[in-house]
Amino acid sequence: MNSIIVSAACGILMMFGSVWIGNKNYFRFIAATGLLLTWVANWADMNGNGLFQIPASGMFVYTHISYFFNAILIAATLIYVIISGDEVTKQGAYPAEYFSLIFFVMSGVSILMFYNNMLMLFLGIEIMSIPLYILTGADKRNLKSNEASLKYFLMGAFSTGIMLMGIALIYGGTGSFAIDIKRAGSAVPGFYNGTSFLEITGLLFLFASMCFKVSAAPFHFWTPDVYDGAPSVFTSFMATIVKAAGFYAFFRLVEVRMAQTATSVDWKLIISFIIIATLFFGNITAVFQQSVKRMLSYSSIAQAGFMLFSLFAMNDLARQGLMLYAVAYSLSTIGIFAIMTKMKDYSFDGYNGLAKTHPALAATNTIFLLSLAGIPLTAGFLAKYYMLASVIRTGTYTWLVVAAVVFAAISVYYYFRLIQAMYFKNGEPVVAAISPIFKYLLISIAIIIIAIGAFPQLFFNLFYFG
Amino acid sequence: MEPTEILFWIISGIAIFSALMVLLSKNPVYSVLWLIVVFFCITNHYILLNAQFLAIVNMIVYAGAIMVLFLFVIMLMNLNTISEPRRTLWVRLAGVVSGGLLLTVIISTVRSAVDMNDKKALMSTGDIGLIQNLGKVLFTSYAIPFEISSILFLSAMVGAVVIGKKE
Repeated sequence: MNSIIVSAACGILMMFGSVWIGNKNYFRFIAATGLLLTWVANWADMNGNGLFQIPASGMFVYTHISYFFNAILIAATLIYVIISGDEVTKQGAYPAEYFSLIFFVMSGVSILMFYNNMLMLFLGIEIMSIPLYILTGADKRNLKSNEASLKYFLMGAFSTGIMLMGIALIYGGTGSFAIDIKRAGSAVPGFYNGTSFLEITGLLFLFASMCFKVSAAPFHFWTPDVYDGAPSVFTSFMATIVKAAGFYAFFRLVEVRMAQTATSVDWKLIISFIIIATLFFGNITAVFQQSVKRMLSYSSIAQAGFMLFSLFAMNDLARQGLMLYAVAYSLSTIGIFAIMTKMKDYSFDGYNGLAKTHPALAATNTIFLLSLAGIPLTAGFLAKYYMLASVIRTGTYTWLVVAAVVFAAISVYYYFRLIQAMYFKNGEPVVAAISPIFKYLLISIAIIIIAIGAFPQLFFNLFYFG
Repeated sequence: MEPTEILFWIISGIAIFSALMVLLSKNPVYSVLWLIVVFFCITNHYILLNAQFLAIVNMIVYAGAIMVLFLFVIMLMNLNTISEPRRTLWVRLAGVVSGGLLLTVIISTVRSAVDMNDKKALMSTGDIGLIQNLGKVLFTSYAIPFEISSILFLSAMVGAVVIGKKE
């Protein structure tokens, strides 16, 4: 709750920032300070020292894992603002407003961490999406950016409509917006005391619209166009923090709400189909891309397929795996996009010979790509390992694991293509001026990724005893 | 049959007929006008459920404001002349299959409905839609979502200014 209020307040402050502060370069420092404050507020709240104590009246539920996931996402945003903040200031004429929108997104993210009510789920998803439509269209003079923004807005509005329809049907079937309704004890008078047909239909609608929000196939068609058309800095934000938040919300929805209807609907079967479709479309299409940015957007679909395993398995390993995946995937993708924004040419050929001119960039980019591919000693490997192990522990659908390993092997092809371009091809890459601080930041992100990969206990100790 | 039940069937019939006409009419302006009829019918359903506030809001916001905007857009874009692109056979087939699948899912769930029998109108029993009860609930148990939605509107306003202002 504290993080929601603090990030919304920071958003309002940034909104007035463009009036009060003349120098554009200060904005990112203010934004970083605000995110730090939000992080501290969340951490204090987690340890019971919250600044505000507001009765949640069933709208929120505060659990340790929610706080921890929130802390991960705020920290990832902080890293994002530190490393790509100067690129945000270069987009368009309203840098302060962009940071303010990022803060509003963070407040939506915090809502999604703690929601205990489908009304809050809807509000959280909307607060998260609406600023993103704007950020997608930030590059107003670029037709591609305009198209992406309009497409994202129309498709997003449509999926929100389906979500609302679903929530309304669920309300009709159960008489409650809560996601953990106590069915036997407090049945609403006049409502059928069991699984209603309205509830099932509503849950299916809700499921479809959540799949859309996390870009799972067959609802993934918007992803490549939007991620490709949006300015690269904002794609980096959208593909990482927002997606991870959507996944956690989806995870809680399946864990708490869908599980109550497990006797009527075989959710595992539905999710397994979606996993296979997502892995298939994401990986196979990524192989044929010529632009690194477009390849990354398909790869983000493929990575979503792996994150869906946590929804399938629903055990302790899945929970830990989802956290690890959020860290590993967000950090690597933020790093790759940060390097990409410095490049002139986004195609694979544009990276030719980067290792000769900028060895630090090429080396860190390689570590990030290895982490995305899931090579041992990186955080990405452990994340994938936990996901697959969680499915094996359920003891069913073992063929899913086999398929996932095959698709992971395919993904190695297109990640290594970029590494090959950087190290083994000759060319003169056009790179913008790189400051030493930028280099050290990239190196420290790479060190975090390797540290988590080598000593995952450090991360889990923080979770269990932090 | 009670009078409310007869009324329910008549209104439902008109609603379904005009919803079909929205899709079938070739002229977009007629479509919009049929849509207004649909909204009127839904407003009547709300009244049958004794939800007067919802009925009035539905009438003012949907049938009034939004439909006027629709008409404006159609007039400004001059969509009167039909210029619908020819769809290929595959696109049509895909549309039919996916629409049919959705219909199958919904029909199969409706067929197993036991909890919807004899629930057409709540003429004298339901008071959940009265403005007094609505206000009480909104400012007590739903106070948090009510306040948080202000962030949503604020971000939408910031966005509108960012998108709309001249650079």
